Amino acid sequence: MNPTEFGQIAVNAVLLSGILALVALGFSLVWGIMNIVNLSHGAFVVLGAYLTFFLHELVGLDPFVTIPIVMFALFLLGFGVQQVLINQVIRAPLLATFLLTFGLEILIVNLVNYFFKADLRSVTTRYTGTGMSLGPLRIPYIRLAALGISLLLVAVTAAFLKSTRQGRAIRATGMDIDAARLTGVKVAQIYALTFAIGASLAGGAGSLLSMIVPFDPNLGETYTQRAFVICVLGGLGDVGNVILGAILYAFVDVFVGARLPEMSQAFTFGVLVLLLVLRPQGIAGKKLYA
Amino acid sequence: MPERRGLRVGQWIGLAATAVLLVGLLILPKFQSQYDLLTYTRFLVLALMAQGWNLIGGYTGYAAFGNVAFFGLGAYTTGLLMLSKLQVPFFPALFCGALLAGLIAALIGLPVLRLKGHYFAIATLGVAEAFRQIADTWDSVTQGSTGIDLPVRTEGEFFYYSALAFVVLGVLVTIALRRSKIGYAWVAIRGDQDAARMLGINTTAMKVLAFAFSAMFAAIAGGLTAYQNIHVTPGDFFKIEYTLQMIIATIIGGTGTILGPVLGAGVYQLLSNYVWTRFLELHPTVLGLIIILFIIFLPRGLMPVLTGSIEVARGRRRFRLQALLANVRAHRVT
Repeated sequence: MNPTEFGQIAVNAVLLSGILALVALGFSLVWGIMNIVNLSHGAFVVLGAYLTFFLHELVGLDPFVTIPIVMFALFLLGFGVQQVLINQVIRAPLLATFLLTFGLEILIVNLVNYFFKADLRSVTTRYTGTGMSLGPLRIPYIRLAALGISLLLVAVTAAFLKSTRQGRAIRATGMDIDAARLTGVKVAQIYALTFAIGASLAGGAGSLLSMIVPFDPNLGETYTQRAFVICVLGGLGDVGNVILGAILYAFVDVFVGARLPEMSQAFTFGVLVLLLVLRPQGIAGKKLYA
Repeated sequence: MPERRGLRVGQWIGLAATAVLLVGLLILPKFQSQYDLLTYTRFLVLALMAQGWNLIGGYTGYAAFGNVAFFGLGAYTTGLLMLSKLQVPFFPALFCGALLAGLIAALIGLPVLRLKGHYFAIATLGVAEAFRQIADTWDSVTQGSTGIDLPVRTEGEFFYYSALAFVVLGVLVTIALRRSKIGYAWVAIRGDQDAARMLGINTTAMKVLAFAFSAMFAAIAGGLTAYQNIHVTPGDFFKIEYTLQMIIATIIGGTGTILGPVLGAGVYQLLSNYVWTRFLELHPTVLGLIIILFIIFLPRGLMPVLTGSIEVARGRRRFRLQALLANVRAHRVT
């Protein structure tokens, strides 16, 4: 591996880590606060990607403009899903929510498949494919913008959790549900809000992804798995951990992908199993649940 | 005393129903076309996998999401042994496959079963994915993604009766295990692992045993399917759909019950066929919906409904639609 190739791989990893952090943050929030491993998280990414695609194709909106619309739509969907479905069984044993979100994933992905077919889609604009050169390294503008927007959204979410009343209610519910209830927090609503934020972040990530990679309804599955690995790598309970996990994962993924593409998933899962056995609370994280 | 007599009558009904069902299943091939027989065989193979999953997922309460790994392992071991220079006959090859799967499951289980909850689920999912990639890349043995071709055997009756025999054997093994110390240990682990350990149960050994048993069931199902399908590829025999089917079947029937997985597999196959013929393209969507509805309204499956309706029919209990809301009432958050 020569220095240029190494540099390009590193740049790609950094550019990838933003979106990964965005996907994983929503996943981590839902997991950390409610102890739900949301297997439908990837389905929300898919919905985000398709929404952007159709707003761009049919309405003619710039894909970047669609991001707030997509996030709002996914916010509403997430809120409804949590209130109507998940809140009904959330105190049942773990397997219940696990399978429920799994059923949801099958449902959403196949509905998307039914209506939009499995064709590979991509969002193409005037500026697709343009980029700048940094010496021998190439940095596409869209990926750079996606990194910026991702980091902005992560920062906004972190600030929301830290300093708003609702954000504090979310964190309090995650720490001790009974104590939170005693102080007047409406737990069911807070749960719905948490899930809605998670879905909304996934939608935003899907929106960004639609501009970067060609996608079909199966796009989401790998992102659910990646989000899980990132959460395990970083540990739950802190926004910083998620970013750390995402960067770590992006580097492993990009490097293994460049060297041993056919073994990348086996490798990732091998590392994951090893890590789970040796250090289940993640590299930096503390235990919040499980 | 009425209670004791009631129990006996209940057992008698259950036994009679099982006997009638068994005789029905035994003479069934006489009245079916080869194609329909294939559907019934598929149901029995699914029942076998579900019985296996029930041991780890139902009794022990560990949500294994990677049992397809052992399904594929059984398929490949059976196939490769039959194709090897020794030309091992089918049944010995099948048993070798099951034994190997049990052994490997025990080895994998030792580290992985230390994990709990979601972590265990995802780790097993990862194991299955790793198995698929190994089968895909280990060209010299598995011939990679091209796959292997087993000797041809076409009589549908052979596969039907073999599968039926294994399902019956599976029921007997489940009953025996459930009534032994092992079965009680599994249920104790499901209830509270730390408490079980304090009672002197070797939880690690018991969990590994459950995992190994479930792997053996899956491997036999895999070997049967391989011999029947002839062509074995990593993509077909390591696909996550099999894991899902066994979990869904067990949940529909009732986790942690003896006949639940068999009942669930039957209902699943019926539903699946119905949906398949009516709305081909919406097939997975409907399955997703079924999972959601069962988890919300009938998380314990159809077995309790069945025993409940027998009680209602005998006038022991009154019919209440509200029973459907019991789960939501108990587990919702407000």
